[in-house]
Amino acid sequence: MNSNKDNVLIEDAEYGLDSLYNSDKEYESEATLLMEARLKRMKNLSKDQIIRAKLMQLKLRMEEYLKEPIYDNQNHFSDFLKVYVDTIYSTRSMFAKDINITPIRLSQVINNHREPKEEFIMKLMIHSDKVYQNICDFQMETWYQVYFHEKICDTMSSQDKWKPKLAKDIKLSESLK
Amino acid sequence: MHVIETSSGSKHQIEIIPLEDGDYKSLTKTRYFFDWKTEQGYEVYKLRIAGSFDVLGIISLERIPQEWRVHIRLLTVSIENKGEGKQYDMIAGNMIAFAAKIAVREYAEYACVSLKPKSQIAQHYIDRYQMRITGMTLSIEVPEILDLIKSYDNE
Repeated sequence: MNSNKDNVLIEDAEYGLDSLYNSDKEYESEATLLMEARLKRMKNLSKDQIIRAKLMQLKLRMEEYLKEPIYDNQNHFSDFLKVYVDTIYSTRSMFAKDINITPIRLSQVINNHREPKEEFIMKLMIHSDKVYQNICDFQMETWYQVYFHEKICDTMSSQDKWKPKLAKDIKLSESLK
Repeated sequence: MHVIETSSGSKHQIEIIPLEDGDYKSLTKTRYFFDWKTEQGYEVYKLRIAGSFDVLGIISLERIPQEWRVHIRLLTVSIENKGEGKQYDMIAGNMIAFAAKIAVREYAEYACVSLKPKSQIAQHYIDRYQMRITGMTLSIEVPEILDLIKSYDNE
C-alpha cells in the first residue's frame, strides 16, 4: 500500500512543487544550516572548479548582455576580456604570448586605448573555443557579437552628438515618391 | 534548451520568459496546481515551446544575494505533463537549469539553487538532479550545478 502511494507522489513530484518555508523562523534556521554546510563544501572546491564556475558566469553574463540594448558608458567588450584573461592566467603577458601578440597591444585593448583588430578578435575566438570545450557550450562568435553590440549601442545612444552635424552633409538628390 | 515529446521522441526548442500580467487569468489551479496570482510580487517565469503560446511549466524564484542563493518557491508542470502519461519530458529540469543559470550568472563559484519539497518527494530531486539535503532544504551547488546547466544546454 505504502509503495503505491509513494509511486504516485514521485510521479507527481514535478506537478505542484510547493517549496515555501512555513515561517520566518523555519527559513532562518534552514538558511543557517544550509550556509554552514555550504561553507564547509566550498572549502573543498578545487582551483579548477572555481575557474570553471567563473568562466560559466562570464559566458552567461555575455549572453545576458546581448539580449537587450544597453546604453551606458561601460566598456563591455574590454571588461569581459579582462575577466576572461584574469580568470585563466596569473599574468596577462602569458595570455598575450599564447595568442602571439605583444603584452603592450593586449594592455591597450584591455584599457581601451586601442580598438581590437579583427585578427585579435579571431585569435580570442579560437582561444576561447579551446578553453570552453570541456566547460560548457560556448559560441565563439559571442566575442564578435559583444564587440558590435557595444558599438551599436554606443552609436545609437550618442545620436544627439553626431547626427545634427552629419545631417547637414546628407542630401537626397533623388527623392523617393 | 529543449523538451522531448514523449510520443515521438522529437525535440522541441523552448523558451523560458517572465510571466506577463495578462497571463495570470489563464493560469487555472486545475491545470497549474497553484493560484499563481499570489506570486505576482516575485520573479515568475513560464516555459513554452518556441513559437507556441501554450504554457507547459511555471516557476517562481526568490534571489537571496546575501546567501548567494536562488530559492525555488513554487514549480509546476501543466497537468498533462505530469506522471507517466506526460506529453513532454524535461520541463521541470529545464526550469531548474534556468534557475541554476541565474545563480551562476550572479554568484559564480558561490552559486546555489535550493528548494524545500515535502519529504516524500525529496528523493526524486536528489536522484534526478543530484541535489544534496541539509535539514529540510535541498540544494545544488558547484560543481554539480555546472553539470546541470551543461546537460540541459547541450541535450
